[in-house]
Amino acid sequence: MKLFKQNNNLAALDGGRRFSLDKALTITTFVLLIIIVLIPIFMIIFNTFFVKATTGRWSLDLSMFKTQLTDTKNLSAMWNTVKIAFFTTIVGTIAGVFYAWLLGRSDIPAKGLMRALFNIPYMFPPFLGAMAWDMLLNGRGGYFNKFLMNLLHLESAPLNINSIWGIVFVEVSYYFPFVFMQVVAALEKMDPTLEECARIAGAKQSTVIWRITLPLTKPAISAGALLILTTSLAHFGVPSIIGYSQGIYTLPTRIYAVIYNAGGSFEGIRQGAALSVLLVAVVSAALILQNKILSSGSYDIIKGKSTRPTLIKLRGAKYPLLVFCVITLLVIVVVPLVMIVLVSFLKAYGLPLKLENFSLIQYTRVFKGGGTIDSIKNSLFASITAGVVCMLLGTLVAYVVQKIKPKNKGALEFMSMLPYAIPGTVLSIGVILAWQGSILNINLYNTIWIIIVAYLARYLSFSMKTSSAALLQVSSSLEEAARACGASHTESLSDITLPLIRPAMVSGFFLIFLPAMREVTTSILLYGPKTRTLGVQIYGLRDAGMIPQAAALATVAIGIIIILNTLVNYIVKDRKGV
Amino acid sequence: MAEVRFENITATYGKKTILKDFSLTVNSNEILCLVGPSGCGKTTLVRCLLGLMKPESGKITVGDRVLFDAKKRINIPAEKRNIGIVFQDYAVWPHMTVLENVSYPLKKRRVPKGEIKERAMKALELVHMTTYANHLPMQLSGGQQQRVAIARALVVDSDILVMDEPITNLDAKLREEMLLEIRLIQSRLKSTVLYITHDQQSALQLCDKMAIMEPNGSLCQYGTDEDIILHPANKFTFEFIGVSNMIPVTCKGEKICLDCGVDYKLDVELPKGTTFAEKSVMGVRMNDVVFDEKSDVKAQVVSKVFLGSEYNYFIKLGHKVIRVQQSMLDAKLSGVPEDGATVGIRFVNPRFYDAKEEHSEAV
Amino acid sequence: MADQIVLRNVTKIFTTKTLGDITAVDNFNINVHEGECFSFLGPSGCGKSTTLRMIAGFEDLTAGEIELCGKLVSSSSKKLYIPPEERGLGMVFQAFAVWPHLTVFDNVAFPLSIKRVNKTEIRQRVAEALKHTSLTGLEDVYPGELSGGQQQRIALARAIVTNPKVMLLDEPLSNLDPKLRETMRFEIKALQKKFGFTIIFVTHDQSEAMAISDRMMVCDMGKIMQIDTPENLYNHPNSRFVHNFLGESTFIKVTVKGGKVYPKGSNQELKINIPKGVTGDMVVATRPNEIELTTSSEEGFRTHIEKRIFLTDRTEYLVPVGEQMVKIQTPHRIRFNAQDECYVKFIEPIWYPVDDEKTEAERNKRQLI
Repeated sequence: MKLFKQNNNLAALDGGRRFSLDKALTITTFVLLIIIVLIPIFMIIFNTFFVKATTGRWSLDLSMFKTQLTDTKNLSAMWNTVKIAFFTTIVGTIAGVFYAWLLGRSDIPAKGLMRALFNIPYMFPPFLGAMAWDMLLNGRGGYFNKFLMNLLHLESAPLNINSIWGIVFVEVSYYFPFVFMQVVAALEKMDPTLEECARIAGAKQSTVIWRITLPLTKPAISAGALLILTTSLAHFGVPSIIGYSQGIYTLPTRIYAVIYNAGGSFEGIRQGAALSVLLVAVVSAALILQNKILSSGSYDIIKGKSTRPTLIKLRGAKYPLLVFCVITLLVIVVVPLVMIVLVSFLKAYGLPLKLENFSLIQYTRVFKGGGTIDSIKNSLFASITAGVVCMLLGTLVAYVVQKIKPKNKGALEFMSMLPYAIPGTVLSIGVILAWQGSILNINLYNTIWIIIVAYLARYLSFSMKTSSAALLQVSSSLEEAARACGASHTESLSDITLPLIRPAMVSGFFLIFLPAMREVTTSILLYGPKTRTLGVQIYGLRDAGMIPQAAALATVAIGIIIILNTLVNYIVKDRKGV
Repeated sequence: MAEVRFENITATYGKKTILKDFSLTVNSNEILCLVGPSGCGKTTLVRCLLGLMKPESGKITVGDRVLFDAKKRINIPAEKRNIGIVFQDYAVWPHMTVLENVSYPLKKRRVPKGEIKERAMKALELVHMTTYANHLPMQLSGGQQQRVAIARALVVDSDILVMDEPITNLDAKLREEMLLEIRLIQSRLKSTVLYITHDQQSALQLCDKMAIMEPNGSLCQYGTDEDIILHPANKFTFEFIGVSNMIPVTCKGEKICLDCGVDYKLDVELPKGTTFAEKSVMGVRMNDVVFDEKSDVKAQVVSKVFLGSEYNYFIKLGHKVIRVQQSMLDAKLSGVPEDGATVGIRFVNPRFYDAKEEHSEAV
Repeated sequence: MADQIVLRNVTKIFTTKTLGDITAVDNFNINVHEGECFSFLGPSGCGKSTTLRMIAGFEDLTAGEIELCGKLVSSSSKKLYIPPEERGLGMVFQAFAVWPHLTVFDNVAFPLSIKRVNKTEIRQRVAEALKHTSLTGLEDVYPGELSGGQQQRIALARAIVTNPKVMLLDEPLSNLDPKLRETMRFEIKALQKKFGFTIIFVTHDQSEAMAISDRMMVCDMGKIMQIDTPENLYNHPNSRFVHNFLGESTFIKVTVKGGKVYPKGSNQELKINIPKGVTGDMVVATRPNEIELTTSSEEGFRTHIEKRIFLTDRTEYLVPVGEQMVKIQTPHRIRFNAQDECYVKFIEPIWYPVDDEKTEAERNKRQLI
C-alpha cells in the first residue's frame, strides 16, 4: 500500500495566487449548479406540498397531492408508465447484449459497417420513429395494415401499433443502443485472457459466455439498462403519438395533458408538479431496485493489454445471423425512414403510395405555413446556446471536481449528476415554477431562455462526464512541468490543460447539441407562441392532423441531423492527432 | 549551477506529517541521488523544491537565492523558481511537437524568437533528438519522450536539474543507456542534479553523492557510494542497499551463536566497542556468504540458480533459508555444489543489529 | 524421459491487411520432456507467445502438428483441432486473468465445477490447492481486494487444482515487482517438484528464464535460434543474437589487418588470438566479467578509467576502447580511480561477422502483430 496518495493539487498549500483562482472557480461552480439544478427541483417539491394563502403566507397543504394520487386516470397512467418502462428495459437490454456480443465477440462479417449502422437508432429521434410506425401499423388504416388486409383479404387490421406493446416495441428499437454501446465498449476493454482461462479450465464456449463474459459485463449492462429505464419512464414523444388515439396515458403524457387542459394556469402547473413528484417516486424506486441488484459483488472490469480477443466462430450460424442483423436494421432504421420520406411526398394523407400521388406540395406548405422557419431557428439557437454553455460549465465543474478537489466535491458531483436521474418532464415543470417570476421576479416564461435553462439542467451531466474523463487523462505532471518551465497557473491552464481537453469539450458540445436539436419532451411543456422548437412544431403539425406536412418537416429534421452528424465525425476524426 | 540547501523542512499532507525537520544539501556541479522506498517523502521534497507544495516550516535556498522561507514568509511561485524538472511519466505535452515542447520554457521567459529555435535545437542535439524536432510525442518511444523531457529541462540555464524517477518507465536495456547518457550530459554541462529514485542499483551507477531516506521520511545516511556500501549507518541502509540475509543470533558469554534451530558457534570477532544485545540479528550480504569446507557451520543446498555471470543458491541453515551469491570466478575455484549437497559456509563482514528493530520487513 | 510435448514443423502465418503475410512462427521443432521446465525466450514479436497459444489451442496451425502426452491435438494436414477445454492443460497468464466477479474459492473451484466433481471433493481439492499457494483463509475474498502477487497465486491455484500434466505459463511474473518475482519463481519450482507437471514458461526476461529452466529455446523473428541448457547457451552461444540476449554482453567493432586486430577508432593493437582466415571488419564479443583490468602493460590494451561504479558485490568500470565505451566488472579488491591509466585484456572472446544483425524495420513490423 502506498503510504499517501500523491495528490494532484494541494490548492490550500499552493502559492497565494493559485489559492484565489481555484477558490473563485469553486464558488462559481457551486452557485451556478444551485441555480440551474437545485432550485427547479426544490420548487417542484415545495409547490406540491405548500400553498400560498390569500394572506400571502405559505402553508403545508397535502390535499393536492392526495387528489392526484387517488385519481384513477393518474393511477392507470402510472401503471402504464411502469409497465412500458419495465418491458422496454427487459427487451431492450436483451437485444442490446445480444447484438453487442454478436458484433464484439463473434466472427460475423462486415463488423465495422454494422457497428456504425447499429448506432443510427441512437441518433434517430424516437418520436419520429413513432410517427412512422403509426403511419405503417395504425389500427385504423396504417399503410402496412392496409397492404396486409388486401393481401390476405382480412376484415380488420391484423396488427395494431396503438397499444402498450406498440409503445414498447418502438421504444425498444430506439433505446437498445444504450445497452449495446456500453456493452460493446466493455467487451472491447475486457481482457480476453479472462475468457481463455475458462476455456483452459475446461469450459465450453457457451459455458464461458454464461459464466464469465456475461457476469463480467454486468456493470455495463446494468448501466445501460438503467439509462433505458429512466429514459423510458420520462419519455413523452412515443407514448403520446402512439397511445393518444387509444387513450393510453403515461405519467409524462398525463402531466402534459393536465397542464395543457389548464391552459397554463398556476393550478394546472401545480397539478403537474404533484404528478411529477409521483414520477420522481417511481424513478427513485427503480434506482433503488437497480442498486440492490447491482450491489452483490462490486468490481471493475479488469483492463488488459489490448490483444486480439479470440473471435468465436459462428460456423453454420454465421450467415443466418448476419441476415437477422440486416433485417433488424431494416426494420428499425430503414423502414421508418422510408415511410416518413414517402408520406412527406404525398399530396394528402391516406392516398395510396403511388408515384402519381407524389408531389413536393407538402414541403412548400410547411415552409409557407407559420412558424416552421422560426422553429428551426429556435431549435438551432436553443441547442447551440445550451451546447456551448453546458460545454463550458461542464468543463468547469469537471475541473473543480477532478483537479481542485474541494472538500465538498461530492456535493458538486451529486448536483451535476442529479438531472440525469430526473425525468425531463419533471425538470420542465421545475423550471416553469422557478422562472416564471417567483424568484427575484425573473420571468422567463414564454421566452426561448426558459427552454435553454431547462436544457442546461438536463444536459449538463453529459458534458461534465466527457470533460471529466478527459481531465483524468491529463496527468497532473503535465501542468506541473509547465509551471516549472515558467508558466503561471493561468498560463499552464490555457497552454496545456485546455488544449488537451478541447477535443473532449467539442464532442461534449455535440453530445448536447444533437439531442437538443430533436428534443420534444422538455420543450413541449415550455414553448410559447413564438418559441416553438423543431420537435414541438412537428408534434403540433401531426397533432393538428397535418400528417404529410409533419412528415415533410421530419424529413428536413432528419436531413439536418444527418448532415450535422457527418460534420461531427469529420471534426472528431480531424482532431485525432491530439 | 548552484548549490541547493534544504533546511529543517517540515511538510504535512492533511494530518499526516511526511517530512519532519529535513535538511539536505546538494553540492554544486554534483549528482546527488536521493534514494528511499516508495512513500518515504522523496516526491514531497521535490514538490516543495518546485513550489508545487508549501512546507509548514523550514527554508529552501538555491545558491544565494531564497526560494522559500517559512519564517520570513517568502514563497517564490513555481514558475519563477528556475528549476529544470524531468518526471517519471515524461510529462511531454502531447499536443505540441518536440520542438514546441522544448521551446516552451524559452517562450515563457520572453527570449527573442530567433534565439528560441537556435537554443531549442541545441538542447535537442544534446539528447540526439534533432531529427525528431517536428514529431508529435505519440510518434516517439518512451525513451525518446524522456529525452525530449530532458532537453526541455536543459534548454534554459536552470540553477538545478531535478529528475524524479526518470528511467523507471523504461525497459532494462534502455535504462542502462539512459543512465550513461545522463551522466555524460551532466559531466559536459557541469550541472547540479538532484536525482530521485527508489532503485538503489541505478543510484549507485549514477551518483557522486547518495542520500538514503527511511520510510518515515528521515534522512538516515549521506555520503559517497563507497561510504554507503562499506559503512552503512544502520540496519535500514544495510538492508536497503543490496540483497542481504538477516540471521538471528544470541550471545552466550563471549561467543556468538546462530539462533536458527541449530546452535552454531560463530568464529567472528566482534567489531571493537560494540555492545551486544542478547537477542540480535546478523546481517550478511549474499555475496559475503562463502563456501568453505573447513567451516563448522554446515548448511544444505536447496536450489541452485545459474544466472550467467554468477550462481545464486538458496541454502538451508537450520530452519532458515538464506541466499548465497557465487561469482563465476569463485565457482571455478571452489566448485559448484549441487542441489541437496551439504556445504560448509563462512560469513565475511557480518554486521550485528539489535533484534528489536526486526519489524521493518516480514518475509 | 518421454517427450510430453512435441512440435513438428509448426508454422504460423498471419495475414494482415496493411503488412501482408507475416511468418510469426517458422518451422518450429521442439521436444519437451516429461517433468521438464522448458522456457521460450525471446524479444517481443519473436513468436514465443504464438507458439504457446498454438499449444493451448487458441490458434490454429498453418502447417505442422502438435502432440500432447502422446496424443495428436493439432494437425494442419489432418485438419485436426482439439479445442482448448479438451486438452487438459493448466495455464497462467501475465495479466493474472482471475475472474473479478467470483470469490477466491469460486475462482479455484471453477475448473472442477465444470467437470461436475461432487461438492465435498471440490471443497477438499480447492482447500489443498489454496494451501499450496498460501491462500488459505482468503476463500471468501474477491480478487479485486488482493495484491498482484496474491492474484497470481489464485491463478496458480486454479491451474493446479485439476492436477494437469502440462502447465503453460505465459509471462506469469512480468506484472509483479522484482522482489515478488523472485519469490514466485521459487514457488512455481516448488509446486513443480510437488506435483511433477511439465512446464512451458514464456518470458522475455533472460535472467528469469535462466533461473527457472532446465532447458530453453531462444527465438528471434519467428525462428528458433538455439535450444539448450542455460549454461550451454550462456557459455556457447551460436550467434551474436543469443550472446547478446543472455547476460550482459560487450561487442567491440574491430578491423583485422595484417594479422593484427585494431578496435574501431584506434591505432593501438588489441592483442587477442585471431581465428583462422579472419580478416577485415569483425565484431569481438565478450562479457563484463571476462575482461581483465590490470596495471601491467603486458598483452593489455592501454586506456584509462572513465567512471567507477561501486556496487555491493562488485565494482564496475567504464573504460574507452577505441571509440567505444566498455563495461568491466571486477571484485572490490581491484581498485582504480577515475582517470587512472589502466590496461584491459580480453579473455577468450568470441568472433562474429559484422552483418549478423537483422534490419530494424523487419523487427518493428513484427511488433505490430
